[in-house]
Formats: sequence, structure tokens, C-alpha cells
Amino acid sequence: MTMLRLRDLTVKFGGIVALDGVSLDINRGEILGLIGPNGAGKTTLFNCISGVIRPDAGSMIFDGRSLMFAPPHERARLGIARTFQNLQLWGSMTVQENLTVPMDALGRRNTFSDALHLPFSSYAERASSERARAILHVLELDQYARTLAADLPAGIQRRVEIGRALAGRPQLLLLDEPAAGLDAHETKHLADLLHTVRERFHVSMLLVDHDMSLVLPVSDYVYVLDFGKVLAKGAPASIQSDPKVIAAYLGEESAKEPKQNGTVVAVTRRHDAAPLLEVKQLAAGYGHLEVIRNVSLAVRQGEVVACIGANGAGKTTTLRAISGMIHPRSGRVEFNGRDITGKTAEHISREGLVHVPEGRGLFPNLSVEDTLRLVSNSLGKAPDLATAYRLFPKLKERRNQAVGTLSGGEQQMVALARAVLARPRLVMVDEMSQGLAPTVVRHLFEIIRMMRDEGIAVLIVEQFVESALDVADRAYVFEHGTIGHSGSAAELRADRKLISGSYLGGGVRASNGNGHHADPALMEVVSVKMPATLKRTLEERAEKEGRPTGAVMMELLGRVKA
Amino acid sequence: MTWSSRLTVRVLLALLAFAVLARLPAGLDIGFQFDAALAVVWGFGILSLVLLTGYVGQVSLCQATFAGVGAYAAGMMVSTYHVSYLIAIAVAVLAAFLLGVVVGLPALRLSGITLAIVTLGIALVFDRYVFQDAAFAWFTGGSAGWRVDGARMFGQQMDSSRHLMAAYTVLVALFCGVALLMVNLHESGAGRRFRAIRDSELAASTMGVNLTRYKLLAFGMSAAIAGLGGSFYPLVAGSVSPQPFWLFTSLQLAAIAVLMGVRYVPAAALGGVFMAFVPDVLTRFGHGTFRGQTYDISFDWFQIAVGVLLVVQLILLPDGVWGDLRHRVLRAAKHARLGSRAGTQAKGQETRQEEVRLA
Repeated sequence: MTMLRLRDLTVKFGGIVALDGVSLDINRGEILGLIGPNGAGKTTLFNCISGVIRPDAGSMIFDGRSLMFAPPHERARLGIARTFQNLQLWGSMTVQENLTVPMDALGRRNTFSDALHLPFSSYAERASSERARAILHVLELDQYARTLAADLPAGIQRRVEIGRALAGRPQLLLLDEPAAGLDAHETKHLADLLHTVRERFHVSMLLVDHDMSLVLPVSDYVYVLDFGKVLAKGAPASIQSDPKVIAAYLGEESAKEPKQNGTVVAVTRRHDAAPLLEVKQLAAGYGHLEVIRNVSLAVRQGEVVACIGANGAGKTTTLRAISGMIHPRSGRVEFNGRDITGKTAEHISREGLVHVPEGRGLFPNLSVEDTLRLVSNSLGKAPDLATAYRLFPKLKERRNQAVGTLSGGEQQMVALARAVLARPRLVMVDEMSQGLAPTVVRHLFEIIRMMRDEGIAVLIVEQFVESALDVADRAYVFEHGTIGHSGSAAELRADRKLISGSYLGGGVRASNGNGHHADPALMEVVSVKMPATLKRTLEERAEKEGRPTGAVMMELLGRVKA
Repeated sequence: MTWSSRLTVRVLLALLAFAVLARLPAGLDIGFQFDAALAVVWGFGILSLVLLTGYVGQVSLCQATFAGVGAYAAGMMVSTYHVSYLIAIAVAVLAAFLLGVVVGLPALRLSGITLAIVTLGIALVFDRYVFQDAAFAWFTGGSAGWRVDGARMFGQQMDSSRHLMAAYTVLVALFCGVALLMVNLHESGAGRRFRAIRDSELAASTMGVNLTRYKLLAFGMSAAIAGLGGSFYPLVAGSVSPQPFWLFTSLQLAAIAVLMGVRYVPAAALGGVFMAFVPDVLTRFGHGTFRGQTYDISFDWFQIAVGVLLVVQLILLPDGVWGDLRHRVLRAAKHARLGSRAGTQAKGQETRQEEVRLA
């Protein structure tokens, strides 16, 4: 029984195709997992279903109704609810108030009767706070009912978001990265909770998450997106062993044999040098959320070091804490023998440590040459564009073009060139290959290698593990906000299992049957068309036996057949 | 406290406020009585911002325009069509409501600074053209403005300064009533939907809140509240002129609303009093000699004072004068309670939740 049917959904942002003909089916009572690397189009797909953006082509049918032109609040009425990756609770309201908003937004309520506090409004008020309490009880949130949402830690806020989404009696629950920022234990708890929610509230779910240790055990069926297309679909067990999926997550297997000799020699030579950057016991985070703790790492002169690990593991936060974009909570950062902990970003960049942030941080309306001059000017040095153009000959051709009109790969080159022009001793590059095609990525890694040959140390954070390990001398593997393993790139490459474990999660729960199949007991009898007396009898019986109505109905059907 | 008992307390508070406020200016001279009536008119203006900015999070720099439309509409109804003043008020509120809905249309797409500039533009257009242009003389009464001689309400003469206290009493009664409704609204389903829009529009729309409807409603209701206050202006001042409703008044309303605490209904009363009395006190008593030095703190100083106070408030009292005062009193009350019941568990959450409830 298909509940939501997507066909050939296409979304374009300017020239970029974010979704390219995606077709997907969600059955009633099913938990559908949606995974894929960064920039694969998961959130775009999500926004299409919840109505935040409108697809350019394709069709979306929910319960026999087209969703293409329905505004978001209309979809909520139809029974689609969602949570948000970047928490969107109403912070100045209590948890209970957060839950009552979707309930009475869906009911017919009148502003003037509310203000006058007429009996009709106060009855609705009682009913919705009753239901809010019930939901909070199931989600084990009773104690927070009267706390302001903004005062809660992020982990609890995620659970409140699920509660709020359930409040509007949805049939389909869209969960956008519910495990982001949770530790291993909390993730496990969330997985159990999602099953409870499905059983108690009779909802189907579409679950998007990077954390495979959540998605694979929880889902009945999994779709994998990559570059806006469905790369694979199947039961969780088969997805985990699918070579295509592993390649998409870890980057393509390096086809050519890396220059082992040179790298190894270089590594041994560099091992003697004193560390250029040394990070000790670093902890940092945002607001209530501590993202990294106990992170210690070192980068030596003229060395390429990679930070790898699943999304949300704390790689980007580490870079931000080092470069002064956020203030470290504890720990120590030394650069070039000097303590730079908690110094301003400007100060640190003058010391010779340059950060190329995720998303590149370029000025779209400046031309390439102006962008590059800006660096030299702000450092008070004569512009040395020759070096930049030697490393990036392509930029010379495009020097008068506005940066915003360049392709993603070229923009990344501008960002790298700008970093090189600051004459750094260490460049930190965050998610350099994000959203770029493999050939472009290969070229960029070539440039990283050239930068090392110029004597610049490089610290990279990378999704494409294979390519990163090809170019890096050493690597740190991040897991849940701290460093899980570290070692030379050659060692880590040899031990693929180690890395794939940190990305793809541990053992998968034994899948029941063929996966793409929902438990009939969870079928919503309420929404099935049948005589009211029959329905009531079924419901009464189910209530007496304490079982889902669907299960009772299936049992009776079985008896009839027999 | 249950809903109904809290409602009873509120109704009693509103009645008490009316009883006190209605008597308060009785012993003052006519100048201060005029200020008191004006304070309620501007109190409505700030109340309209409490709804729009405090509850729904929308910016508007044209609230005085709404008040002006209310004033002119009431003046026109009485002078041209000779209707009862109550009907004039109803028409004025309706006119302001409709204009508010129209001004709300850009807010469906805009927010923050862009919305502020659009509303500023609307204020400028009305200030410079509609209120002062001969083409709109049917609405504004030309350069002489409307006079509302012989206006009656509830069978009582209310037009001239001799009957000022009668108009003032009606104004205060209305203000207390609207303030009560506003506090009720904050706690109700519609109020939560408004606050949901303020905290996160994205979440509100995907949780079933119709943004179009509620934003337009908020602008309309806000304008209606400002217009209701404005519709009494002809009674209070005896005539209508463009000057009180010019652009600068709108800016002043916004500044004083923030200064007093834009999320709190009682701040509107404080703000109205501040806006009406302080300039008058300055002009009356702000000059003389002090230790041989003559000084003259005229009305101009009021503008500077508002600016300086706003800066000080944003640093020291980020939730506004009333808001921070409340937090402090509630915190002190909590400490007193905890002290008297030593050994019991901390009731931090309860107090925090109480703080959410409006005064």
C-alpha cells in the first residue's frame, strides 16, 4: 500500500541539478531510510516533500492527492509532519506549548474566540494539552513539559521536535538527521524510540541521516542517493555490503597505484621535525552542545594530514576551534611554538595559519584577480599573483571573471590560491571536494600535493576518504566528537575495515524477510473505509486485548480464510 | 493555577487598573489631563507594536500612520456624515484594519530590515502625500483638518476640553479591555501560532500554521488597535492635523516600545505615559536658572533622551524596562519562596515557566 509516491522528481538551483529524476515509494507503516554523502540531495528531497521548495518536474502523490502545489501548512493538514536538522523549536515557548501549536493549527480555531476565551476555545485548549501530555509521556519527556524549549540540551530538543511533529496526528513523519550531534549511546536510544513511536502512533517514517548506525538497524528499506540520483535501494543488509554504496561514501577506489615509495620516504624524513601545529585535549562546541572533546593532533612542517570520519563527528568544529572562528572551551593550540589558543581568527591567520572554510567563503561579485589582490593588500605585501597563476594556470584565463560565475571546482581553486597568497605555513581545507565531480576532485588533490611540495603543510577534512588517504601522509579518524584512530595513510588504507566501520556503523540487525514490507498489524484501520459499526467493534476488541487494531483485523481475516 | 482562576485574576486586575487610571488625572490641570488622554492614544500605538513585533516578530515603522488613518476616518465620519461617534470609531478601526492588511502583504515575502524600510516608505507616503495633499481633502479635511464640535458618545458631550475627562474615561476603559484581550491572546491557541511565527516561520508553516492568514491578521489587528487609539484623537485634541502622525512619531513609537519591553502588554501603558508626559514636562519645567546659569531643556532634548535611553536599555535591560523589572521581581520572589521552604527542591523550572506568562 503506497502512501507517498514520488516520480521523476527534479530540482534545479540555477545550473546545479540537486535532484535528477528521483522516484521513491513509501508504504504505510514503514520506516524508510534515506542515506547518501554530503550534497547528494537528501535535504532537497526532504524539502520537496514538506513543501519548503517546489520541484521543477515530476510528481508527488500522497494518499491519492497531488502535493505539487500544496503549501506547507496544507501538507501538514494532509498528515505530513517533519523535524529539522538545525533545530527549529519555538524557543520562547514551553515544551508543552510547542506541542499544542500544531494540534490547534490543524483544528478550526478562531483568533477572536481565543482572545475572548470563549467556552469553545477553552474546550479545545483542554483537549490539546491532554494530547500533548500523552505524547510527552510516550517520548519520556514528561519532566520537561514546562521548560522553555530553548533551555533544553540539543539531544532533548531533537526528541521534542519528534513530539511536536507527532502532535499534528501525521501519517507520515519526515525525520531530518535526528541523530546529528548525538553520541553512540543516545543514538541507540533514539533507534529504540523510533520503533516505539511507529507502534504507538501508527506513523510511517522517512528517515534521513548520515549516521548509518541509526539508519541501517531502524529502517525496513533503504534508498541511497548520490549526485541527486537514486544510487541503490534495498534491505539494510544488502545496502551495507553494496560496493556502489561503499564507493559513494568512501570515495572511489584509487585506480592508479599511489607513489608509495616517495610518500613513505617523505614520511620518515618528516617524522623528526618538531610539530608545526600541536593541538592538545581540545574541546569546543556551540551553545549547549559540546561537539568535540579531548581532541589531540599534530601537523609537522611540510606534511599533509587528513581528518576523516562520518558527518557530525567533529572534524569541521576542530578546524574552527584551531583557526579561532569559535572559542575553544578547554585545551591548548600551539602553532609554530606559540600558544594561539583562543586568539582571534585575524591574529591566527597573520601567524601563517590559513583556514579555507567549508563553502569556501568567497565574495561572489569580486573578480578572480581582485579576490587574490585583496589578500596581498590586507597583508600589506605586494601582490604576488605569479605564484598563484603558476599553481593555478586556469585562474589566469579567468582572472577578470566574477568569482560567483565560476564553476564549483574553479571557485575552490580561487579559495586555495587565496590561501597560498597569504604565504602560510599551514593551510586547513574543509570539505574541499564537497559537491564536486570526481575528476575535479582529483585535480584539486593534485594541487594539494603541489602545495606540499612548496613547503606548505596542509590539514584537510574530507568526505572522499580514498582520495584523501592517497595524498595524505597521516590521518586522524574522528568518531563522535573525538579521535578514534590515527596512523599513517598507508596503514589506514590497508585497514579499510577500520574506516568503513566508523562510517557505515556496526552490525546490522537481522532483517525480517524481504525488507520492503510493512507489518500489517500497524496498518491504520482508522483510515480504512469500512462500516462504522465494524470499525468500532474492531477497535473495542483491540483495546480490550491491548493490541493494535490492525493486528486484530489480520487475525480475523486469517480465521475467515482458514 | 487553573485557566479559569487565572482569567478571573486578569479580569480583576483590568478592572482595578481602570478604576485607578480613570481617577488619576482628575486633580491635574487641563494641560496634564490632555497629556493623560494623549498617553492612552499613544499607549494604543505601542500596544499595537506589542502584538505585531512582540508576539508575531514582524517589524513595522508605520504604526503612527495607522493611528492617523483612524483619526482622519473618525473625523471625516463625524464632520462629513454626521454619524454618532461610536460609528465613527467603528469605521476608523475598520479602515485601519484594511490598511494594515494591505501593508501586511509585503511582509509575506519580506522580513527584518527590508520590511522595516518598506513600512517606513508607507509612513512617508502617508505623511507627505495622503495627509497633506489636496487630492485627499475629502479624507483629511484639507489644511484646516476636521473639527468634531458636538460629538457625543453614550449620550454625553465629549467634544471640547471641558469634556476631556469623559473621553479619557472611555479611552482608558477601552485600553484596559484591549490589554486584557491581548494578554488572553498570548496564552491562547492563536497567540501560540503568532509566537510560533516569531520563533521560527519555517517550523510554523510546516506544522500547519497558515503564514499568509496569520501574518495578514496580525498586521490587520495591529493596525486596528493603533487606529482605535487614533480615532479618539479628534476628541482629545479638538481637531486633526497631520503633524502628530508624521513619520517621526512612528519611529518614536517603535523606539519607546522597545525601550519599555515590546513583548509585554503593561509596557504599552508605561510607554504611552512616557511619550505623552515627558516632552510636556520638559517644555514646562525644563527652563530656568540653576546656580546663576540659565538652562533650557526643551522638547528637542526628549528626542536625544530617547536615543540615549534606548542604547542604555539595550545594554542593561535587554528585555525592556518592564520585561527586566518583571524578571527581577520574579527572581526575588523565587528566592524568598526558596528561603522560606529551605530543603525543598529548587523550583527553577516552575519560575521560568511563570516568567513566560505575561503579567
